[in-house]
Amino acid sequence: MATPPSEAAYLGVARGPDPKAITGAALAAIGGIERFVKSGDDVIVKPNICVDYRTYEYGATTNPEVVATLVELCLGAGARRVRVMDLPFAGSSETAYARSGIADAVQAAGGEMEVMNQAKFRETQIPDGQDIKSWPVYQEVLNANVLINVPTAKDHNATRLSLGCKNLMGVILKPNQLHANLHQRIADLTSLVRPTLTVVDAVRTLMAHGPTGGNLGDVRLNETVIASHDIVAADAYAATLFDLTGEEIPFLKAAADMGLGTLDLGSIKIEEVVV
Amino acid sequence: MAIFVYTNAQRPQRFWADLFSRLDPLLMASASLAGRALVSGIALAGITLLLTLLFGRVWCGWLCPLGTLLEWLGPRQARRRAPSETWRAIKYLLLFAILLAALLGSQTLIVLDPITILNRTLTTAIWPALRYAVVQTETFFYQFPALWGPLDAIHGTVVQPLFQEVQPVFSLGVLVALLFAGLVVLNWWAERFWCRYLCPLGGLLGLLSKLSLVRREVSDQCALCARCTHQCPTGTIDPRDNYRSDPAECIVCFDCMTDCTREGVAFRWQVRPANRWRPARWRDYDPTRRQALAVLGASAAGVALAGIEPITQREPATMVRPPGALLVDFSALCIRCGACVRVCPTQGLQPSLFEGGVQNFLTPRLVSRLGYCSFSCNACGQVCPTGAIPPLALEEKQATPIGLASIDQDRCLPWAHNIPCIVCEEACPVADKAIQLEEVEAMNALGETVLLQRPSVVKELCIGCGICEYQCPMGGESAVRVYAPTEAGGFLGALPEGI
Repeated sequence: MATPPSEAAYLGVARGPDPKAITGAALAAIGGIERFVKSGDDVIVKPNICVDYRTYEYGATTNPEVVATLVELCLGAGARRVRVMDLPFAGSSETAYARSGIADAVQAAGGEMEVMNQAKFRETQIPDGQDIKSWPVYQEVLNANVLINVPTAKDHNATRLSLGCKNLMGVILKPNQLHANLHQRIADLTSLVRPTLTVVDAVRTLMAHGPTGGNLGDVRLNETVIASHDIVAADAYAATLFDLTGEEIPFLKAAADMGLGTLDLGSIKIEEVVV
Repeated sequence: MAIFVYTNAQRPQRFWADLFSRLDPLLMASASLAGRALVSGIALAGITLLLTLLFGRVWCGWLCPLGTLLEWLGPRQARRRAPSETWRAIKYLLLFAILLAALLGSQTLIVLDPITILNRTLTTAIWPALRYAVVQTETFFYQFPALWGPLDAIHGTVVQPLFQEVQPVFSLGVLVALLFAGLVVLNWWAERFWCRYLCPLGGLLGLLSKLSLVRREVSDQCALCARCTHQCPTGTIDPRDNYRSDPAECIVCFDCMTDCTREGVAFRWQVRPANRWRPARWRDYDPTRRQALAVLGASAAGVALAGIEPITQREPATMVRPPGALLVDFSALCIRCGACVRVCPTQGLQPSLFEGGVQNFLTPRLVSRLGYCSFSCNACGQVCPTGAIPPLALEEKQATPIGLASIDQDRCLPWAHNIPCIVCEEACPVADKAIQLEEVEAMNALGETVLLQRPSVVKELCIGCGICEYQCPMGGESAVRVYAPTEAGGFLGALPEGI
């Protein structure tokens, strides 16, 4: 991607009651969508739509307004098309897309939902992989001009938190077979997929009983969106919303050790805005 | 026929899904007898009965989807000599056997009903095989990235909406397909062989048609050309009887009228004046009293034999029923139609073989390894024509246990091999997870000390949906399995008060 204008921040954080406004503000802080999307680009937005039985208030799936705002911004920057997709582990893609509210929001914004077709997954080499050297990955995600990773920040019983790196598990087949060495394998996956931009939806954060949740009492209204080209830094900042540091999340530590990004929030330019 | 294909083709289609089952009086009668309750929606079957009493076997000639299919698949004229007329009695005898068994509480024989046969064949054989063929072809072409543009368009507009994302698998599929093929092949022996000689619903409607009001009457204008005899699909126009037909065998298709040389004059459908109406006479090929008694005896004996099946004493662990089914006398109400199997979004519902004994042959059970009970779905109860699966509201269904998960500690990765996992806990849809985790430190096979989370099932919360068994990364036998709830009383997993 292009080098950022000198005044743009490395990582942007926006807080406020309007998810659409804070998404725009977080992006503006790091140089705007134009820094990442050029006219004619084929863009894929990858939110978290992991199950089909939770509406977005439960904090288990990405906020539909955040996703729709990104779709609008990309189209505004001249993207040829913007597709939104995820492979849920419970329920069909269609019911999950509908229940999360993302299908309606994306269609209203002019984007397309794509049901991830089994035929377009291929066994793909992971050259930098330390534990896994290949895995079946959705080829469209690797071929697109721009991949925008839009996780929802939440608690996760296996990995402590589910953030940007963890969200990439939605673009592979047999995710249930990563768990024997989950943290390193998430880092390996991140080394392959390398999203262009990571926008962490922390509008609502599921603080316990993740990743599927189910108790509204576990959801905290955080009204925050974090954006960065550096997936590790974005995740590290998101971890602070749970009173944790990036170092305490093993998959983040593994990713940082592999050189996929920085955990040192003190060394980067962070711009925080309130909208 | 078009309606039937439509109602069967789209898997999520619920509104019309059980239409033909409800119109079928044999299904409704059998379920009501065995279930000891008038099945809701039975009024639709009443329409069929009324039509039959008025006009004869119009169902067979115009409405029955299996009849229509058999008419299309077969030679116009059978080449062999048809079997003896006495074979016509078989359909009546099968009918008696079915009704007596139902009276005695067993619907085992209802699998011979034509609607269930066609439903089952489409659901477990034809539609899945068609999907497999289409998707394999599509996958072949997807090898060439240059084709992805048009392929995606075809996939999005045709393949995905028609076939959805799940490839249905059924171990009975080949058998069901072969049996159906057998029915079709019989058409080469005699036209509409099934309808003529075997169909128990045809038998029921045939008996009623002996009382029908409107019948085919032959006048003295008949040219005796025998053209109608050759046209008749059920071969009931008898040259030795002045080309009259037996109303019980006539399916009112009107084929005889199209080629009649004295059309409109030789014969017509009409109502006999009241003083001349009487029931159609009993034919030589109709069942004799002895035959009927023999079959009734055999049916009763069959029901008695079914009582020897072990299921009458011990609940088998593998019979996990659809949600709500445990609340009713399932086996007595289930008409083995396969509607629930068809709508299940994960295709986890499978027709049983003999896991539950002969009396549960082809009733549905959930095979979690193949498909879990989707937490966001209550479709099966919505489509069940007899209420064997009661229509539960979604929240109710989500609190209704169908089984209990059980972790095999000799197979589960964190328990047996000190390797981290907990996919089962991650997948569990219940808000207060039905799998709890215990953190332990242990040494793995490489000699490293690892921090493990070991899962165990919370009995009070588990609803037996099976997504844990489905997602478990162990191949073959899952390390966590859902068993049918077999404990009596309050040991069943159920949400504690206040949740």
